[in-house]
Amino acid sequence: MRALALSVTGNRGVAIAIAIAQWVARFVAVVLVIATFNFVLVHAAPGDPAQVMAGQSGSADEQMLAQLRAEYGLDKPYPVQLAIYLKRIVTLDLGYSYRQQRSVLSLIAERLPATLLLTCSAFLLSLAAGVSLGTLAGVRAGKWSDTALTIVSLLLYAMPVFWLGLMLVLLFSVKLDWLPAFGYVSIGVPMTPLQRIGDIAAHMVLPVVSLGAVLMAIYARLMRSAIIDVAHQDFIKTARAKGLKRGQIIMRHMLRNAVLPVVTVAGMQAGTLVGGSVVIETVFAWPGLGRLTFDSVLQRDYPLMLGIFLVMSVIVILLNFVTDTIYRIVDPRVSLRAAA
Amino acid sequence: MSDQTLLSVEHLSVELPHGGDRSHAVADVSLSVGRNEIVCLVGESGSGKSITAHAVLGLLPPSLEIGAGTIRFRGDDIAHADDDAMRGLRGGAISMIFQEPLSALNPLARVGDQIAEVILVHAAPRPSRAELDARVLELIAAVGLPEPATLVRSYPFQLSGGQRQRVMIAMAMANNPALLLADEPTTALDVTTQKQILALIRRLQAERGMGVLFITHDFGVVADIADRVVVMRNGRVVEQGSVDEVLRRPKDDYTKALIAAVPGSRPASTVDRKIEGEPLLDAHGLNKTFVTGQGLFRPDRTVVAVRDVALSLRPRETVAVVGESGSGKSTLGRIIMRLIEPDAGAIEFAGADFLELRGSQLRAMRRKVQIVFQDPFAALDPRQKVGDAIARGPMAYGAPPAEAMADARRLLARVGLEASAAGRYPHEFSGGQRQRICIARALALKPMVLVADEAVSALDVSVQAQILDLLAELREEMNLAMLFITHDLRVAAEIADRIVVMRHGEIVEQGDTKSVFTSPQHAYTRALLDAIPGRSLFAGPQAATAPNAMTA
Repeated sequence: MRALALSVTGNRGVAIAIAIAQWVARFVAVVLVIATFNFVLVHAAPGDPAQVMAGQSGSADEQMLAQLRAEYGLDKPYPVQLAIYLKRIVTLDLGYSYRQQRSVLSLIAERLPATLLLTCSAFLLSLAAGVSLGTLAGVRAGKWSDTALTIVSLLLYAMPVFWLGLMLVLLFSVKLDWLPAFGYVSIGVPMTPLQRIGDIAAHMVLPVVSLGAVLMAIYARLMRSAIIDVAHQDFIKTARAKGLKRGQIIMRHMLRNAVLPVVTVAGMQAGTLVGGSVVIETVFAWPGLGRLTFDSVLQRDYPLMLGIFLVMSVIVILLNFVTDTIYRIVDPRVSLRAAA
Repeated sequence: MSDQTLLSVEHLSVELPHGGDRSHAVADVSLSVGRNEIVCLVGESGSGKSITAHAVLGLLPPSLEIGAGTIRFRGDDIAHADDDAMRGLRGGAISMIFQEPLSALNPLARVGDQIAEVILVHAAPRPSRAELDARVLELIAAVGLPEPATLVRSYPFQLSGGQRQRVMIAMAMANNPALLLADEPTTALDVTTQKQILALIRRLQAERGMGVLFITHDFGVVADIADRVVVMRNGRVVEQGSVDEVLRRPKDDYTKALIAAVPGSRPASTVDRKIEGEPLLDAHGLNKTFVTGQGLFRPDRTVVAVRDVALSLRPRETVAVVGESGSGKSTLGRIIMRLIEPDAGAIEFAGADFLELRGSQLRAMRRKVQIVFQDPFAALDPRQKVGDAIARGPMAYGAPPAEAMADARRLLARVGLEASAAGRYPHEFSGGQRQRICIARALALKPMVLVADEAVSALDVSVQAQILDLLAELREEMNLAMLFITHDLRVAAEIADRIVVMRHGEIVEQGDTKSVFTSPQHAYTRALLDAIPGRSLFAGPQAATAPNAMTA
């Protein structure tokens, strides 16, 4: 009687609204859990946060400590403190970095765009390249081009990210002088807006490629095996029996079915991408969150670290949302089944 | 060659890669299909019937190649035609439908688009959107699907198996083919659905004067649909002729054996086995509803699998639970074994309240109910030796390993295998042999009740008959009560003392085998009996000799 569940069209809008409501509820829950985890971390550090902060600001007299404790409500019981902390987060108050003498939020806001640009580009590049290379390898399974692609992806997979970055710099910046080796934009050169975009793009190439390479290798391998699996399915035989050309069969029937496991893994790998940006941004002096994280860890800047931790978690959740949405678009069964 | 011949396969050979158990998938096969006739290609698994059909369309798997022989379609040899020429034929003048309607459609594309695709591929001037839509709707209506306008926009998963097969047929009919290759198109369907699909194929064939090469393993289906029959075995044609000649006066011994093995062609189980006494197992008021969570804000989905079912099983008795897919028959079997806890109801088993047992008492009781599953390939651990698979059960109940293993070897010999099979792995055995192993495994625990869940459904008819005979012997030797779950009334008739018919989770009728077959009370039982393929044939000449056979 599943056929009777065909009246989806009417329910579609409602179903989408419900899906979004569900997602927002889950998002808020996860962020709150992470924030609580943050809170516990601060209190697990030796001494209380006030001592940590005072130590960082350089002057640790009793009066200053008492003042800090009062300011952060550290003299109150833990549940009250947690409530205060969560309230601060809801109002986007992430604290103050004594090292940098600025609010954590402004520090992060300044660096966030560069990181988003880097990670999102790397994400899209790795998906696009991985899916196409994997498809090529999959439809030629066993031929030399498949073997070559498999070896290359294995090499990329085995290569440390920073080393790949350095080698790319050596080749394309130092030897060939095609691309800038580090930074976000050329400094001290007058540029029209269009030139500026081109300049940023040129600066992006090496970090994006280095960051995306490993993921691309993973996606390519996944896509290859998915394509080989799909190629043996009955509906591919149906497509052949319809008289379709090989290219048509690959584009219309194999790709979409094979890409599903890749999308699933891509969602799970989003965290790797954000984590990997720490290394890449350091190698390429890319002025993003990753670089800020690196600095904050070296300087034991707890408020900043915790703020970054929270923001990165949010980015990972958002990337997961994007892949979920892609999955729903590719596979109608997910959303329609739920609606039916 | 006459004008009436559409397809003629002459001395076709397809070689197998080296290292197989024989050198040819098909060898020296000759057959022909005329305009406006249905030719059935019959054989058991591995007979090469499917390979022959795939060879016609050039759809052989890459490891296989046409060795010798010709395939003439309208006089042209297409055995070695190039890919362009073959693509022109595929889905055009020759189309094909397959066995598995669940997997033969692209799960991610709308049904209408999949039908439209085959029209577009072959249409020389690209038809306008409106023409195309009209053609798709017309095809959907022609195969008897409801609400064409909604249906085109739906995805395969929203349709039932029968509906999907109709979509496949609509696709195959899109370009008015002269020849239809149908590869076991009804094997995966329920009997009532099978009957409808067979009628549909016959109607379309007659309307369009198509030639049909219909592949099946089921002589019942052959009797219902064929004009001519070709019987294959081990890659060779053993006999061919008109349906009357082959089915009523088979010449070849293999054909005779096959027809004799068809369940239902033999007299139904009429021997009164003198089943009496108090029930060994008595279940009543069983209910089970499956609830699937849909997430926080959506109502849960509920499916009633079993509703108010009462069932009793006396010692030595065999009860067949018959129903189509989704009838709740397998759920019932699992409830009886306590693999699934019912929502309500009681099961009294060997004097104990089975549903109330816990811990060691339950464990002691569990060994008394054992199961044999449908798929003998998935039911055995591929990395466990056969002897271990059988001996592990008794060992878990404390039997000394040496004794359990000796017992396992004895059982293997009893079910018709070599005792030395104990040291081998499951993949070294055929499907029928594996099912024997599964039976030995179930019997190793000396159960009182054996649940056979579609235990012979995946087997070839000749193997099916052997396994049924084996079960019939074993139940006498070991005083077994059997719960025989099946979708196939013919099989039920062969082995059951009593038949229980289920639909939508409820028992619609039960009674002793003979009375269910001769005077079915419920309309659904009559519909099921009516849908048994080949009734005309098997009820015909044999009705006289065995009046109690299916003359409902």
